[in-house]
Order: sequence, then C-alpha cells, then structure tokens
Amino acid sequence: MSSDVVIRAEGLVKIYRTDAVETLALRGVDLSIHKGEFTAVAGPSGSGKSTLLHLLGGLDRPTSGEVFLEGKALSKLHPEELARLRLERIGFVFQAHNLIPVLTVLENVTFALELRGVPARERERRAREVLAELGIEKYAQQFPHRLSGGEQQRVAVARAVVGDPAVVLADEPTASLDGENSRALIDLMRRLNETRGTTFFFATHDARLLDRVKRLLILEDGRIVSERVQA
Amino acid sequence: MRYALRNIKRAKRRAVYTFLATFYPALILVIMFGFAAGEMQSLFDSATKLETGHLQIRSAKELSGGSIPIFALPEGLVDELAHSDLLEFWTLRLDLPALAAIGSRSYGVVVQGVEPEKIRRISPVPGLVVQGRYIGGSGEAVVGEELARLLNLAVGDALVLLSAHPEAGMGAGVVMVVGIFRAPQAEMGRTIVQVSLDTAQDLVRRENAVTSVVAYVAGVTGPWHASRIEKAAAELEKILPPGLAVKKFAELAPEVAVFMQIARPVLTAFSAIFFILGGLVVLNSFYLAVLERTRELGVIRALGASRKWIMAALFWEVLVLSGSGAVLGALLGTGLIALVEKLGGLRLPGAYSEYLRAFGVDPILHLRVSPGEVAGAALAMIGVAVLSAWYPARRAARLDPVEAMRYVL
Repeated sequence: MSSDVVIRAEGLVKIYRTDAVETLALRGVDLSIHKGEFTAVAGPSGSGKSTLLHLLGGLDRPTSGEVFLEGKALSKLHPEELARLRLERIGFVFQAHNLIPVLTVLENVTFALELRGVPARERERRAREVLAELGIEKYAQQFPHRLSGGEQQRVAVARAVVGDPAVVLADEPTASLDGENSRALIDLMRRLNETRGTTFFFATHDARLLDRVKRLLILEDGRIVSERVQA
Repeated sequence: MRYALRNIKRAKRRAVYTFLATFYPALILVIMFGFAAGEMQSLFDSATKLETGHLQIRSAKELSGGSIPIFALPEGLVDELAHSDLLEFWTLRLDLPALAAIGSRSYGVVVQGVEPEKIRRISPVPGLVVQGRYIGGSGEAVVGEELARLLNLAVGDALVLLSAHPEAGMGAGVVMVVGIFRAPQAEMGRTIVQVSLDTAQDLVRRENAVTSVVAYVAGVTGPWHASRIEKAAAELEKILPPGLAVKKFAELAPEVAVFMQIARPVLTAFSAIFFILGGLVVLNSFYLAVLERTRELGVIRALGASRKWIMAALFWEVLVLSGSGAVLGALLGTGLIALVEKLGGLRLPGAYSEYLRAFGVDPILHLRVSPGEVAGAALAMIGVAVLSAWYPARRAARLDPVEAMRYVL
C-alpha cells in the first residue's frame, strides 16, 4: 500500500435489514483516498453515497469488506476506539444542523480540540486562525442560529479542519444551500485543500459542483461505475 | 460543564421542574427531621424527667405482678456515685403499690418516695403544683388533680396510705396532702402520690430501703446520646455490688424507646415517597432532554466524543440542578426550623396537642435538626436525582451516531 493512502476500502458491502426487507446499499466498493486529494463522490439519491461516507468515517460498520484508515482496519476497533480515531484523524461536515446550538461559533470550532485535550489558549488560537481563513471570524462569539445556512456550513468546515485531520469527510455539505452558496462553500474547501493540504472526500448530487473537484467518482446502485481525474 | 450549563439555560422550564423536583423533597425531609427530633426530645425529656431518668440502679431480682423489688442501699454506693464523674445527678426513690383512702373512698396508687430537695432539680412535678405547695419533709404528700377529684381531696386533708409490697408486706400510714399538681399525663395524675423518701420507708418499716437510684448521665441532652447512656451503664455495672443491676432508659420506658426507634424510619419512609416522585420527575425530564437532543448528541458522538463524555455532560447538568435544588431546599428547611425555634417553638393544634399531653409530652414542639441531617437530606436527594438520570444518560451515551443524526422528533 502506498504510504500516501489515507483511506482504503476493500470490497465494501452494506446491507440494511428490516423485518421484511433487505436493502443492498453498497455492492462491493473498492477505493483509495490519497493524501491531499480533493475528491467527490457523485450519484443520484439512494446510490449509497452517505452509506459510503459513514463506513469510511467509522460511523457505521460494513456487512462485509474492510476500511483501513492510515493502515488501521476499522472493523477491529471497539466503538470507543473508533470514536477516538474519528476525533483525532477525521473531520466531518454533515448536511445540515450539525453545529451544537448551545455553543458559540468559536466554541463549536474548538469543541473537538477540547475533547482531545488541547490547551485552551492553543485551541482558541487555532480556531481563530481557521475562522479568519474562512472569513467568519467576526461571528466567533455568535450562536449558530444567528448565522445563515452558508455561514453555518463554513463554521462546520472550520470545525472539521481545525484539528488537522487525515481526511475531511463531507456528506452532501451543500444540500441545504442555494447554488451560489454551494459553489462558494466548495471553493472554500478547495482553497483549504490547496493552502493547508487538507484531504477532502465529499458526497454530492449537485452536478454543477463537479467541475471543481480534482477527482470524481460516480456511484450508482451501490457500485462505483466510473472515475475520472480532472485538472 | 459549559455544555451542561448552556443546556440548562436552553431548556429553562425543564430546568425549573428538575430544580423543584429536588428542592421540595429535601425541604420536606429536613422539616420532617426537625419534627422527629423535636418529638423525640419531648418524649425523652418527659419520660426521663418525670419517671425513669437516663438509667436506674435496681435490684437484679424480678418480682411478679409488676412491683419493683426493694433493696437496702449498700454502704459505700452513695460515696461511689458521689465520686463518679459519669453521672451528672442522681436521686433515690422508693416506689410502692398502695391504696389511698379518705373516708369511704379509696383508689389504687403508686406511692413514690422521693428526696424532695434533690428532685426539684430535675423533676417538673414541683413546678406543676397548682394548689398548695410541694412536699418539704416527712408526713406530707402531693397528689395529681385527677386523684384529688376521684377522692374528693383538698389541700390539708389527711390521706391514709395502705402499702402492699410482695417483699415488705402490708404497711400503713397517714400523710397530709400539702399540694395538688396538674400532671402532664392523666394516668399519672390518677395514680401518683409523691411523699418524702423516709415517709415511704416508714410504710415498709425499713431504713435505707429503696427501689431505684434514678440517675442522669453527664453530657446527655437527648435520645441522640443513647451511646453515652450505654457507656455509663457499662461503667456503673463494674462498681455495683452483687445483686444490683443497671436498667437503661430503653428498658425502663420500652414504649417510648420503641416509638423513638420507629419514628425516624417511618418519617424517612414517608419522605421517600417525595424522593421517588422527585426522582421520577428528573427521569422524565432528562429522558425528554435526550430525545430532544438526539440529533445533536449524534453529531457530538460522530465528532468523536466518548460515551463517558456524553454521560458526564448529562450528569453535570443533573448535578448542577439537583445540587442547587437539594441544597437550597435543605437550607430553607433549616432556616424555617431556626425561625420556628426563634418564635418559641411550634404550638401543636388542639386534638394533637391533647394526644401528646396524654403521653406526657409538651405540646409545644421544639424542632431541631443537625448539620449531618441537613447534609444527608441534600446528598440523598442529589443521589436519587443522579440515579434517576442514569438511564437517560446511558441511553444518550449508547446512541448510534448515524441513527441519531437521522432522528426527527
């Protein structure tokens, strides 16, 4: 395995079972995410994008197959070890409502650093630096409900990158945004990818954003059906 | 901690419910402790001062028919007691079953031979005399109002006493009624005739005859000092000559001792109802809180918070609310008790007051509560609240992040 591989997935299968129904969400996905990549996985609703991101981020376990994060097999980890791994090595951006409403913007961004035991002064310095980079430092003391949807998602991106994770996984981060805000958010993520070298892997079904990614995977019916690298 | 405090601020109404659910039980428990201690103090005082003392030295013999055996006060025992620093005060008594008669009327009584000068220090009877005066020497008696009514007695009347003790046989004497007292207990008012010790000794024709040395242990102010009474009894046993034994308060007034033993557990059990209700409110409140915050908790868990962190956050919340509620409730209870005491105690309402009087208890209740009880009430409530929050906190900690983030209330 190449040393710059951050995440490797082998034969990922995910079946959701209810009493009467069995749904095959992923049908054997193999992929590698390399350090510094800016990758999108696109596909229609129900194609398995969110499931794939949950498995890659250790939020859910595959029915079969394995995910390796920096060479570590996630299926062998206890839920608490997985939580620790997420805290230290993965940044997450979810579709919406993913900020903690009772914490200010600054506290939301420093939250994961606080869980990691980073000293208060250091975490505030790092958080303010990222907020400034994303142009939202002026909202540091505001509570999330006072911010627009686009601003809230920028705060979520700030929170995801502030801890210098191995990879940021974003599940349809633009789903609740209009076209302009969606493009702005993706551009911002791309800029962070270029300036900080942060690895991004995000899911989207918005075709207008796909020209902004370096690598594009198309997921259909639980399988990666095409892959292309773009300039 | 910050997350917990912000959540308290976010859900103010729920915070108020949780606060009150811990405030009231702690308040009620402290006040109940105050009542229990007040009642026990009253019972203890009336029983020990009127009748039993903290302990008594008696003959080790047992007599059938309920009479107390007579013994001759051993030489040296008085000196031993006088030099003992275990006892604060002691006095001699000779109790004899007798028939009191005047003219054609008679009534079964207990003649209590006492040391009039000594007993003034401890017994309330001299202070309860409502006609005439208390006995001063030989040949005088005081009787209760009830007995005076039964025998149609008045101060200055001559009363015939016919004693019949299983060991001493029959004895007879005439005493002059010098006073009538208002007994705190009707039974006592009907049956007690107090005379001087030598008058009672004349009835049994034995000098130095006593039935009890009634003693008060140094440093004992209430039933909470039972261990001091036990310790003094054990020490006294060592210096007593053969044939004598120490009987403690609990043996001398078993009904009062039993009441005191069960009063606190009964009140505590009653308070437990409020604790359970408080606990259910806390459980409900935090269960709803976890439901409402399911998505948020899912996000927090997804970001990497451990189960321990999630539980700790919820426990901080319950600790802050129940801690402030229980502590303030307990302190308010203490304050109310102090206020009642400052105003002279609590005069109990009519029927209850009469009931207590029948037991020889002062109908003015003096509430008291110890710092340990206040702390215990507050800590117990906090403990119940934390236990009640355990299930919702555990549920929150075990949320599956993906499921939780999909959750819509």
